[in-house]
Amino acid sequence: MPNVPRPHRRTVLAGLFAAATVPALAACSSGVTSLKEGDAGGAGAADSGAGLVVGTANFTENQILGHLYAEALRGTGVKATVKPSLGSREIVVPALEGGDIDLLPEYQGNLLLHFDKKAEETQAGELQNALAATLPESLEVLPYAAAEDKDVFVVTRATARKYGLKSYADLREADGELVFGGPAEDKTRVVGLVGFRERYDVTFKEFKALDASGPLVKGALKKGDVDIANLFSTDADIIKNDWVVLTDPEHMVPAQHVVPVVRSAVADAPVRKALARLGALLTTDELSTLNKRVDVDRKDPDDVAADWAAKAGLTKN
Amino acid sequence: MLQLLSDLVHWLTSSAQWSGPGGITARLLEHIQYSLLATLAGAVLALPLGLFIGHTRRFAFLAINLAGFGRALPTVGLVTLVFLAGGLSMWPVYVALIALAVPVIVTNTYAGMTAVDPDVTDAARGVGMTGFQVLWQIELPLALPLVMTGLRLAMIQVVSTATIAAYVSFGGLGRYIFDGLAQRDLVQVLGGALLVAALAVLLDLAMAGVQRSLFRHRPADAS
Repeated sequence: MPNVPRPHRRTVLAGLFAAATVPALAACSSGVTSLKEGDAGGAGAADSGAGLVVGTANFTENQILGHLYAEALRGTGVKATVKPSLGSREIVVPALEGGDIDLLPEYQGNLLLHFDKKAEETQAGELQNALAATLPESLEVLPYAAAEDKDVFVVTRATARKYGLKSYADLREADGELVFGGPAEDKTRVVGLVGFRERYDVTFKEFKALDASGPLVKGALKKGDVDIANLFSTDADIIKNDWVVLTDPEHMVPAQHVVPVVRSAVADAPVRKALARLGALLTTDELSTLNKRVDVDRKDPDDVAADWAAKAGLTKN
Repeated sequence: MLQLLSDLVHWLTSSAQWSGPGGITARLLEHIQYSLLATLAGAVLALPLGLFIGHTRRFAFLAINLAGFGRALPTVGLVTLVFLAGGLSMWPVYVALIALAVPVIVTNTYAGMTAVDPDVTDAARGVGMTGFQVLWQIELPLALPLVMTGLRLAMIQVVSTATIAAYVSFGGLGRYIFDGLAQRDLVQVLGGALLVAALAVLLDLAMAGVQRSLFRHRPADAS
């Protein structure tokens, strides 16, 4: 997976218009600059009276996570505000390092790749250690959540039954028989055809270049035009369509557990406690459901997050 | 920059790049097939319509505005829509390309027909020509330059937009552009874009050649 935030379904389409990305990026950077206003001291956003500032990247799931962090923090008595949708990782991580924001919901594998392009760790524990060692001195990662948003390769229930598929290794049983659907980059990356060939010795009948967990690849899987599709693990359609997520015994796909990255200066005991409580409760299924409520049911991310946090008992100390 | 140029030249000239199922030759042929089929289908639909509204001067308002509406349809949206309704096939691509070709051909054909001097058609009717004879022997030959312009414009638009086939997993030169962008392989993107541009120019020159040969005897006939 490239070292960028996962494209959201709608932004995938928008991203096709290459011209649109330039003004979008310009808008993002000006947004970060404007955060500096009224922050004369430079000692960090936390000192400006607004409490802890939670930043988020510019896609649905990350915004929900930002609001969840804020709710959890308020639950342990920490004042917190959210600056949603600041931009891509290339924008928000520097904003964190610069002290414009204090806390950011991130993903293990991608965050590590942001700081170390050659990192090879794939398992959650390894990644956590590598992150602790690699992050700049002013930042640290807190314990990661059960929820994970990573590339998964799914088949329909019928296909799984037909070949007895449970894991990527079982795909040997259907070697050369299945049609693979995913974004065009899957043809040349390890989390894609290369990894399947090298780690699992599996080849496919055909590769269909479609989109990244978007309407095309999901439509094709639904209609049987492809047999196995590259989706994101928190995609609400996986549960809705009863698709089977195959397991990854050889750790081909790096773990992408949701992990809070925070400025060490503000990471006191109540902050750590709040985020640890949230991380223990937030599973991949729960996160998928939250994504669905925003993307499919058109609710506001802050309302969805507040609702869930209250039900989970996170808003009470 | 120089490195990029030399990589690009190497990409375009290496023989390995031109052969095989993903090679330039195969992609070029796919692209020509998509483009010609879509333009042809567009012409079959649009020419009779343009001639009809041009000859009768009826329904022109409706047809021209529908054509304008067709022009405003976003191609990616149309492809996605037909894909979701009908599944993975070339249909979404052809529907979108034909929707792109039809408006240009209709409006140009209509414009060519309305530009014919009414005195000429009056005279033709005066010497006893039927409506069909007027259309076929007077109006169409006089409107032909603008009709051909419409076909050429449609062809250029279709050639450049046929790259969209790669968006729904098919071939054509768009494959290099989509794959190159996804894989951050700038050379592949540039190579694909250059080939599309070159193909558009070449096909337009070919159409210009056809147009010239059609009008070769014109001055003698017209006099």
